[in-house]
Amino acid sequence: MTQSTTAYQKPIPLKDIDNAPYWDAADQHQLALQKCDDCNAYSQPPGPTCAKCGSENVSWEQFGDDITATVYSYVVSYRPFLPGFQDELPTIIALAQLDKVPEVKIMGNILNCQEKDLEIGMPIQMTWVDITEDRALPQWIPATN
Amino acid sequence: MRTIKDRYAIVGVGESERSRKSGTTPLHLALDAANAAIKDAGLKATDIDGFMNYNEGDSCTSHQLATYLGVRPKYVKDIQGGGASTEMLIADAVALIEAGQLNTVLIYRSMNGSSGTRVGRGYDPDMLQGALAGGSFVIPYGSASPSQWFGMYATRHMHETGITKEHLGHVCLSFYEHAQRNPKAFLHGKPLTMENYLATPDISSPFNIHDSCLELDEGNAIIVTSAEKAEDCTSKPVYIMGMAARQCHPHAHYWNDIDHVASDYVAKELYENAGVTPDDIDVASIYDCFSWVVMRQLEAYGFAKRGEVGEFVAEGNLKIGGKLPTNTAGGMLSEGYTHGMNNAIEIVRQLRHDYDGTARQVEDCKIGICTGWAGPDIAGAMILRN
Repeated sequence: MTQSTTAYQKPIPLKDIDNAPYWDAADQHQLALQKCDDCNAYSQPPGPTCAKCGSENVSWEQFGDDITATVYSYVVSYRPFLPGFQDELPTIIALAQLDKVPEVKIMGNILNCQEKDLEIGMPIQMTWVDITEDRALPQWIPATN
Repeated sequence: MRTIKDRYAIVGVGESERSRKSGTTPLHLALDAANAAIKDAGLKATDIDGFMNYNEGDSCTSHQLATYLGVRPKYVKDIQGGGASTEMLIADAVALIEAGQLNTVLIYRSMNGSSGTRVGRGYDPDMLQGALAGGSFVIPYGSASPSQWFGMYATRHMHETGITKEHLGHVCLSFYEHAQRNPKAFLHGKPLTMENYLATPDISSPFNIHDSCLELDEGNAIIVTSAEKAEDCTSKPVYIMGMAARQCHPHAHYWNDIDHVASDYVAKELYENAGVTPDDIDVASIYDCFSWVVMRQLEAYGFAKRGEVGEFVAEGNLKIGGKLPTNTAGGMLSEGYTHGMNNAIEIVRQLRHDYDGTARQVEDCKIGICTGWAGPDIAGAMILRN
């Protein structure tokens, strides 16, 4: 992906003790998800323990960089509610249902997509946008095949 | 344990002026609302020994309100809350009275929701990432407004159930029509037609400005006491038949699973507690931060079957004269917005028949429902009777 030529104005994901493995993987253009070793549920967003059963036995599963999904739901935003979005309206915000793990839905913007082409069920592909020198943001684009 | 059914009552309701710019503080608005409710009940301020409020860091404290009413109460409580807090705090008040700790409780919500802090706007993005559960997975994508959060649910639900934009419009038109009968409604004198509704561009799909609640400066207050103490009040008591509340998602603001809402679970318990069914409900206050939220709750609370809610509202059933007159003062879409408390006040007035002899009164109404929605993940609701 191309590097933005001006300073990135949008909020940058804040890493914390619980979510750092997700964002560290994203910075490497990879997807990692937290999983419970006891009840096998994935936690998205990740947390200190399993959000389903409360178990402390959680670990991270790597999914690589070929992440396909379908649009589970979406909104089209015509007004910016946060800095940096004012120049890219309308903004499409979607919940992506992962093909490999349908119970996990990951929020993101759908880039390179016209509003008229947007529909529930449409296939999309994860991409990563380099937003600063050392940070990358997972996003979605329409699947090409 | 004894059931609380019919043993507690709402005996006073009141509000401040509502405006876009109050020119005063939430404390003043709370005092106006509290004094109106106390007068409505025929009580003295010193009869109240418990004060409670919910806020988003945008109000005065219960202690401040009590102080300037000249009361030194036994108990004050301020919670971070929103759209289901009216019902939940009424349950707290009932519990404290039942426990013998308090006699009479005043609950209020007061905010400069227009001229002060506005929901979803003007916050520091990094603060929001920390403040919202899962915020770092939401905020970087531009999603900071409840319209965007609930829109995600609405798009999917409408896709699955066949609800259309025009159906949402019928919710708005019904409530706006009620506002035209209520001189104190903020949008009194501003009727809405379907043509205008459909021509209004969306802010965040599927919602335009009419689908979204007002943002106003306003204070509201409600007084709760026991059925015995209600006998000493000059107002007509409205009895609490049943209450229920529920939290259902693992994260507020990052909703992985948008196929259920907390109202789905609250409904069953609520009807069991109250001993009634949806057919027994004569009048309703359904939380309406957005038009679609009403549709989803009509399904959850059993007023129309999934897939038939659109037709139900298109037939005019939410209007006075319909099967389920709803938000008869105009609701939060067109009367005012105090995170649900104005809707609770209206259901009390309807059940007291305060509007008898006017076009605002739902004729012969005896039993009403009031629902709260603090997001898809938290719901509280109560059923009241006269």
